[in-house]
Amino acid sequence: MTCPTESGCNCEIAESGRETVQIEIVPQRILNPETSEKLLGRIYDCDGIIRVSIFGSRLPDTVGYGPGTGQKVNHPLKKTIDVEGQQVNMRVSLGRLRVEVENDETALEIKKICEETFSFPFEFYKGTYFKKHSTVVDYAKMGPDADERLLGMTDPKGKLDQIIFIEKEEKDSE
Amino acid sequence: MAYKAQYYPGTTSVAANRRKHMGHDLEKLREISDEDLTAILGHRAPGQDYPSTHPPLAEMEEPPCPIRELVEPTPGAKAGDRVRYVQFVDSMYNAPSVPYVRSYYAAINFRGVDPGTLSGRQIVEARERDMELVAKDQIETEMTDPARSSLRGATVHGHSVRLQEDGVMFDMLDRSRKEGDVIIMDKDQVAIPLDRKVNLGKPMSEEELAKRTTIYRVDNVSFRSDAEAVEWVQRVYLQRTQYGFRPGVEKAQ
Repeated sequence: MTCPTESGCNCEIAESGRETVQIEIVPQRILNPETSEKLLGRIYDCDGIIRVSIFGSRLPDTVGYGPGTGQKVNHPLKKTIDVEGQQVNMRVSLGRLRVEVENDETALEIKKICEETFSFPFEFYKGTYFKKHSTVVDYAKMGPDADERLLGMTDPKGKLDQIIFIEKEEKDSE
Repeated sequence: MAYKAQYYPGTTSVAANRRKHMGHDLEKLREISDEDLTAILGHRAPGQDYPSTHPPLAEMEEPPCPIRELVEPTPGAKAGDRVRYVQFVDSMYNAPSVPYVRSYYAAINFRGVDPGTLSGRQIVEARERDMELVAKDQIETEMTDPARSSLRGATVHGHSVRLQEDGVMFDMLDRSRKEGDVIIMDKDQVAIPLDRKVNLGKPMSEEELAKRTTIYRVDNVSFRSDAEAVEWVQRVYLQRTQYGFRPGVEKAQ
């Protein structure tokens, strides 16, 4: 596949060859750490989860500007939650969730989980939410042979350590 | 018959609430002590005298001026107080007041105030003791709900952010939060921790907020459902565009 920009350059975009489903969940409220933990735990229990991206308002450690600059915040929403046995520090509140899954069945299962977890309405969309192609910023961060699953997993100005790898335990199939 | 000022057109509850706020026909819902108010504003320590920026006007030799003789200075100006601010953020989820209405309220009902209106926040600058009057009046009355309105001097956000699960407007600096039935504030406007927890009272229920709000929303009272308000807003816009607010031009043409 040649460059999608039609600029005449010879760069080549690697094709994934995977047909996946991407979904976005927008709850009507900002989630508590307890609800976030419950939701993420149940989502990761599903089969066929490829990657999950969390969006929300930032929860800073200290006051960023004004006369109170440097004061500790200690926000009650900023807690460490347990996802699949791994401790995850909440840097943002959970306001929006994007999930890439292998098929429609898993997407529907996640929708059902949301209905059971939220006590308030939520929006559920299917579309394309993760980047398909590497940008200059991605190239600068990850080099030429980066894993395509890392694309779009952080803000353009974000660092790669914002990505947390959740290892799923292999089910005993033998 | 004595003329009664008409502040806002409309027949809906939102229009009636706007008239109440502008005309200062407000219900007092809670009490906040002067010390608590001083603490959450954060401009001086509770109990401390008002610092001044100039000597009291009575001790200053002012030049002869007919305007100075005509206009009685406000208590803050008379004492030479510093100019300080109070800034409110109102959630778009049916907060009782909105920035424009707060500005009208301040400008109509108080002297010596400088209201500033922004999309999601509203600031009033005035001499310190005059500003405290404006702030106290708004916090104690139905213009404020502790869960959907907040005092924020720095990192002023929350208006258009979704609510937390407990129905409180989000604040990344955690100045106020729900503890039990009430909202408490343990930081001042600019998120410097206080040595006390200021009780701001119980939050209103969703039904109460929908009844008291001054925000038109399609899921509550929509602007288009208020034919009188729409008619007058259109009239003002039309006349401003056509004649630049010059009454009489229409007839002359």
